[in-house]
Amino acid sequence: MENDKILEALKDIMVERLKFAPSRLPELSPATALPRDLEGSLGLDSLDFIELSVGIEERFGFVIDEAQDLAPHFHTLGTLVDYIRSRLA
Amino acid sequence: MAVRTTSTIEDASPRWYSHPYNRANFYRLAAALAWVPRRLRLGLARQVGRLAPSLMPGERAAIETSMARFTGATGRALETLTLRVFTDFAMCFSDLVSTNRQPAALRASHLGQVEGIDRLTTTLSGGLISLTAHVGNWELAGRLLAGKSARPTHVVVAPDEAQELERWVRRNGEGVRFVSRSRPTVSLELVAALRRGEVVAVQGDRALGTKGDIEVPFFGRPARFPLGPFLLSSAIKVPFLPAFCLLDAQYRYAVKIAEPFIAVRGEEEDAARMWVAALEGIVRQYPTQWFNFFDIWEPFAR
Repeated sequence: MENDKILEALKDIMVERLKFAPSRLPELSPATALPRDLEGSLGLDSLDFIELSVGIEERFGFVIDEAQDLAPHFHTLGTLVDYIRSRLA
Repeated sequence: MAVRTTSTIEDASPRWYSHPYNRANFYRLAAALAWVPRRLRLGLARQVGRLAPSLMPGERAAIETSMARFTGATGRALETLTLRVFTDFAMCFSDLVSTNRQPAALRASHLGQVEGIDRLTTTLSGGLISLTAHVGNWELAGRLLAGKSARPTHVVVAPDEAQELERWVRRNGEGVRFVSRSRPTVSLELVAALRRGEVVAVQGDRALGTKGDIEVPFFGRPARFPLGPFLLSSAIKVPFLPAFCLLDAQYRYAVKIAEPFIAVRGEEEDAARMWVAALEGIVRQYPTQWFNFFDIWEPFAR
């Protein structure tokens, strides 16, 4: 799957599961940071990350069960796209 | 009934109760007394606990409020119950710090009656959320229960103000791994652990002061509780298991594991109400092992 298609699917998840305002979607880019503790990020908290991870599992058809630290993959939309692509490979 | 809100909400950072006596020296002292025979050590702990109400007037007032609401006691009876909370806490704290580095078999010797352990060991396969509260010896419970389960247990804890305290009570090993809530991405670790069929132990009695809290009646008055455990349960479709570890009259720890629930998506508040009802039942039985030293109904007023 192409990176831009993965990014679009992530935007859909943001709107559908995290109730992200659709009018803000044009602001999102691969450089957009996700966790709330990063300046200029989307401000996702721990509950948002639950929703996001389950949304990804359902949309892309794999299970997020890695034992290693997943935080680096969920740092920005770009790193998340890379992670999803690697899982789909 | 649906609960989840939005991303990009500018809400407050999580807050946790803390008091000025949460210092390494107290842990060091408690650990140094580990060699003292347990009966004597618990007697010493009770004596130290008797001093605490006069040193901690704010905490004493909060406990009086809680005991009055839990039991209806007034006057002398209320004073006795309030003092008992501090002495019970001192004993549990002493046991926790003393036994944390002891062999599992020695720690297990403090175990009394265990109710519902089959729910953890055999009945439920796959991931589950062990839900507990600051009642009795909740941290010791995590280690005791992990010893009974073949599955790794991830214990979710608030970040301590002083990281040096962690080595006294939060030692990884023997199937237990402590996970600090210091980062929002911590929930990814918990999702992955549950997917692997492991156990996540979390406390469900202290609100965080964020959008992730909900109000539920507790002893007849609205109190705020965290919704996170129930959202995790509904999202991953794993049960949560109310579990408590109480000091009994013979100074052994009774473990009580209640019926499991699975939170249904969109009905997480109902699950939270079931949890709070289970918590109320335990607190009615063991009011002096309620170790939340702040006003649970007005947690952010201080």
